[in-house]
Amino acid sequence: MMRFLLVVTIAAASWGADQATLEKGQKEEQRACLPCHSLRLIHSQRLSRAAWGRELDKMAGWGTKYSDRDALLEYLVATYGDDKPVTPPAISEDGRKTKQ
Amino acid sequence: MQANRRELFAALMAAAAAQRVSSQDGPVTIPGKRPMIVHNDRPEDLETPMKYFDTWVTPVDAFFVRQHIPRPAPIDPAAHRVQISGMVSKAAQLSLADLEKLPQHTVSATLECTGNGRAFYSPKVPGIQWGRGAVGNAEWTGPRLGDVLKMAGLDDGAKHVEIDGADSGLAQTPDFLRSMPMEKAMHPATLLALKMNGESPQIHGFPVRLIVPGWDGTSWVKWVTRLTAKVEMSSGFFMNPGYRYPKYARPPGAPAIPAELEVIEGMPVKSTLTAPEDGAKTAIGPLMIRGFAWAGENAIERVDVSTDGGARWQAAELSTQKLPFAWRLFTLKWTPAAPGYYTVMSRATDTAGRVQPIVPAWNPSGYLWNGIDRVGITVEKA
Repeated sequence: MMRFLLVVTIAAASWGADQATLEKGQKEEQRACLPCHSLRLIHSQRLSRAAWGRELDKMAGWGTKYSDRDALLEYLVATYGDDKPVTPPAISEDGRKTKQ
Repeated sequence: MQANRRELFAALMAAAAAQRVSSQDGPVTIPGKRPMIVHNDRPEDLETPMKYFDTWVTPVDAFFVRQHIPRPAPIDPAAHRVQISGMVSKAAQLSLADLEKLPQHTVSATLECTGNGRAFYSPKVPGIQWGRGAVGNAEWTGPRLGDVLKMAGLDDGAKHVEIDGADSGLAQTPDFLRSMPMEKAMHPATLLALKMNGESPQIHGFPVRLIVPGWDGTSWVKWVTRLTAKVEMSSGFFMNPGYRYPKYARPPGAPAIPAELEVIEGMPVKSTLTAPEDGAKTAIGPLMIRGFAWAGENAIERVDVSTDGGARWQAAELSTQKLPFAWRLFTLKWTPAAPGYYTVMSRATDTAGRVQPIVPAWNPSGYLWNGIDRVGITVEKA
């Protein structure tokens, strides 16, 4: 039994945050970040846990109020950590005929 | 510009709700712009794709955009005023008509985002992950900043000019405020531009944009509303710790030493290959290698190109005049001897003898990337 628990604990640690935490983190991202900027600004970056933590602190200093900072950090590290592959940015539609 | 931030924030939240701001990074159209590389669309951080860089003057509709904070509400040009304050004997509120009455000057200058090329630093650093296209060359027209300050009776004791624009930070995001030393402010090429390539600057700072030739893009304040002559340089996030560079290079990944960070003034020497495109496939035969090179306040002396990964280099032809501030276009005709994959590289040298490095100094904010440029192409059998 102890051995089984140990295996489960190690597996959970190596998988990182659980699915429920990641979902909470994603919701928190929309709630806390979207009022000021689009999410591309976040999703284009690949940062270490320490660096994402510093970004969250910087944004708190600029007025962001977190309701679940821990879940947000886990979500960012799991999805946009510095070990994750970079995805190329999008290309906008032609806006030359769109009114400025 | 200082505003009631709580009001502004509430207005923005309402606007976001009204536009049903999507949580998805879906398709986006930027009014007035060709298809651009979108790093961020609210606010706009847009990079120019390499294929648009085939002219000495970069068209406004293809020019890169960097916004730290959202654009100001639409500005009525008739009501717009630029306040001249601080250490001047004749404080003033200048209209666009007042600025148009002063002698108008045109300067060709390359504007580059301080973080252009940030994506190439390893380890990665926070910030917009610009590739190679946060740069452009334009013809800027307007009165000299020096003429405006002299007209206002500039005090000899003033050593810096603080510049504010009409944009405001959201929530407690700091206002975008910059200052520069008086010597650069009084330089004849430093302008308050009313035109960009003869057109309205639009998203690039309509109706008045500060032009600081040879200095990094952060110095070029948009939507100018106030100029204040003062003794000390400005404080605030965008002067310190923002846009500072280590006086002594740090090992990659090491944190900055705050006391050793300096305000960035000027730009390094750099070249960028625009053709062939990275990753391109082409049939064997004669090819034209093209690109542009620039060097801050200096001019470009030469550009060397290698088609074998940097083993051998040959001088490219420089096709435009040798000017400070503005880039030079270069070309090299090349006929690959055999099919296969080639690494093509470019290396610029400026009039002061500065040469592009193989490895630019890593720095914690990822500024001033100027490594020797490279693209890979596959030459196929005919």
